[in-house]
Amino acid sequence: MPRAIIKVQNMSKTFISKERKKFLRPEKREIQALKSVDLDIYDGEIFGLLGPNGAGKTTLIKCLTTLLIPTEGTAWVNGFNLQKEENLVRASLGCMLMGERGLYWKLTGRENLEYFGALYHVPKEKRKERISYLTDLLNLQEFLDRTVETYSSGQKMIMAFAKSLVNDAPILFLDEPTVTMDVHAARELRRIVKELNREGHTIVYTTHQMFEADELCQRVAIIDRGEIIALGTPTQLKKSLKIQDVVNLEGVIPKGVAEKVKAIPGVKDAVIKDVKAGKSTLGVMCDNSRKLLPKIMEVLLENEVQIEYIQPQDITLEDVFIAKTGRALSVDTSEVPEEEKGGAGGRV
Amino acid sequence: MGTAIAGLGLYKKTPRTSFGVFASVLKARLIIISRYKGSLIMELFMPIVFAALPIMLGVSLASGGTPVAENWKISSGTADFRAFMLIGACTFSVVSLMTWLVGFWVRREMVTGTLESVWVTPAKKYLVIGGVTGYALIRAFTAFIISFLIGSLIFGVNPFQGNILIAVLFIMIGLLPLWGISFMFGALILKVKEANSLINMLQWVLAFFMGVYFPVTVLPGFLRYVALSFPPTWMTNGVRASLLEVGYFFEHWYIDLAIIFVFAAVVPLLGYMVFMRTEKRLKKNQGMGLY
Ligand SMILES: Nc1ncnc2c1ncn2[C@@H]1O[C@H](COP(=O)(O)OP(=O)(O)O)[C@@H](O)[C@H]1O
Ligand SMILES: [Mg+2]
Repeated sequence: MPRAIIKVQNMSKTFISKERKKFLRPEKREIQALKSVDLDIYDGEIFGLLGPNGAGKTTLIKCLTTLLIPTEGTAWVNGFNLQKEENLVRASLGCMLMGERGLYWKLTGRENLEYFGALYHVPKEKRKERISYLTDLLNLQEFLDRTVETYSSGQKMIMAFAKSLVNDAPILFLDEPTVTMDVHAARELRRIVKELNREGHTIVYTTHQMFEADELCQRVAIIDRGEIIALGTPTQLKKSLKIQDVVNLEGVIPKGVAEKVKAIPGVKDAVIKDVKAGKSTLGVMCDNSRKLLPKIMEVLLENEVQIEYIQPQDITLEDVFIAKTGRALSVDTSEVPEEEKGGAGGRV
Repeated sequence: MGTAIAGLGLYKKTPRTSFGVFASVLKARLIIISRYKGSLIMELFMPIVFAALPIMLGVSLASGGTPVAENWKISSGTADFRAFMLIGACTFSVVSLMTWLVGFWVRREMVTGTLESVWVTPAKKYLVIGGVTGYALIRAFTAFIISFLIGSLIFGVNPFQGNILIAVLFIMIGLLPLWGISFMFGALILKVKEANSLINMLQWVLAFFMGVYFPVTVLPGFLRYVALSFPPTWMTNGVRASLLEVGYFFEHWYIDLAIIFVFAAVVPLLGYMVFMRTEKRLKKNQGMGLY
């Protein structure tokens, strides 16, 4: 039985924000960013929080790092209570929360690491050792002694990552760390995350990209509108779908076609996943694509869809998300009206 | 209800590492400001410009034949009205520097994004704030001395009159309650996020009540009491009284200084409490980030 190193209990967070639609008369609006979240994160795992923009990932992390006080509920981190032992919770964590914005741009990388090391109560001699260790680990030599303002955005992100490692904390929170990195740097970061995990660090990693969660994480929680809608290993999650196939069709696909495809008997779900330069990708989930494909093509042709590319595909974590919400991961939550919630895909 | 415990990494809380927090914040601030040389030089000349306005006014009034200095002496107690204005302008620049450096510090780090990075560390807030304040005190004190000397040169004021030691004492102890006021400013700025114009105005109100350009004793009854409840008023008058002959509010320098001392003991504590309460309320609502 694995032991929880983070235990979240019944955690809710409601933001009250003023909307200034009417002049001089702001309307108050409540946003429930977290809704009674219960969650165990195990000692020594890489735990993924996967969800679209606006799902509540950052809010959960901010609550767990003491930056926000939850409206309700509590948590234990590394044995310490979130509200009663704030400072020991903080001492247990390394955080990369807002990426490059967390650094002082007028200080050099080394000065930043020195500064944050001191704020984490790392003794001076240890700080020196740690910085030279991190320099080797993350290849910082080239830009360590330049002010951060002169860095490329990839270098800033790596330095922000280094900052999160400066106190060698047992638990690491990484909030979308690769979001502004190029493919190569992102892969390198994930490699190091795995290495740190092998050394025994527990890592909480948020992302809105399913392949990252799939590749990196031992367990994944899928989060949507402040609720955890699925939890398990990537394999378990994909198996839970109970469908056989996903076919991706790429081309010029007008609106409303997805609905018509969905109406075909045997099709579980059809969602536009990705729109790039006028081309869309329609993901169709079904039990047997080989049998259904002719029927799907028929519907598409009736609607004057131009298909350029057809690709059968293994089930991904995004398909799990689609099956549960009827939406693609790339759709920002705030762009979808609340009523649609749960309206499409059936909840399991 | 417990969870597994996996140690605390390199975190080691000792008096030395606690002092390290304070020292590192102070050091980082000094390094950062040393990379903005232009603004430092501007800062030194601000009080001189402030002082130039009333001094030129005085000079031009005097040129009509009326001995302005005589009149001035009747209301303020000193004929050296250039020195009077220069001291007022310099103390005002110290007040505005302190409120600006400490009060806007949180807001600035909020905007740049570093505030959350600092707030997730286990460093005690008073150590971080202490570092920022230490820096602000050093900067404000240095600015006062240098501006005063340059200003003296420009306006032909003798900077070495009266009792300089007591003047310095008034500045140094006077800075402490200012620190507390800065925190109330800081709390206000956290609450009213777009507070720039409000703060600007408040600074001028402060300038009015602390008597930058005139002795507060000329204010009518009620306003005079308001002015006297501002610690910077006591600092300004203390410096003037020790260098010129304007007289202390309570006759002797040590009584005035004792009153500033009381302010120094109470106001920072009050300011810190107000600030931490605002911070907590913020964390219960939107948080310390820019949303
Ligand atoms: N400080 C805040 N004030 C008001 N609403 C907020 C604030 N922070 C986040 N939200 C809202 O809470 C929801 C969750 O946001 P967030 O946790 O940032 O999502 P994610 O990190 O998954 O993209 C969103 O609807 C967002 O608009
Ligand atoms: Mg986020």
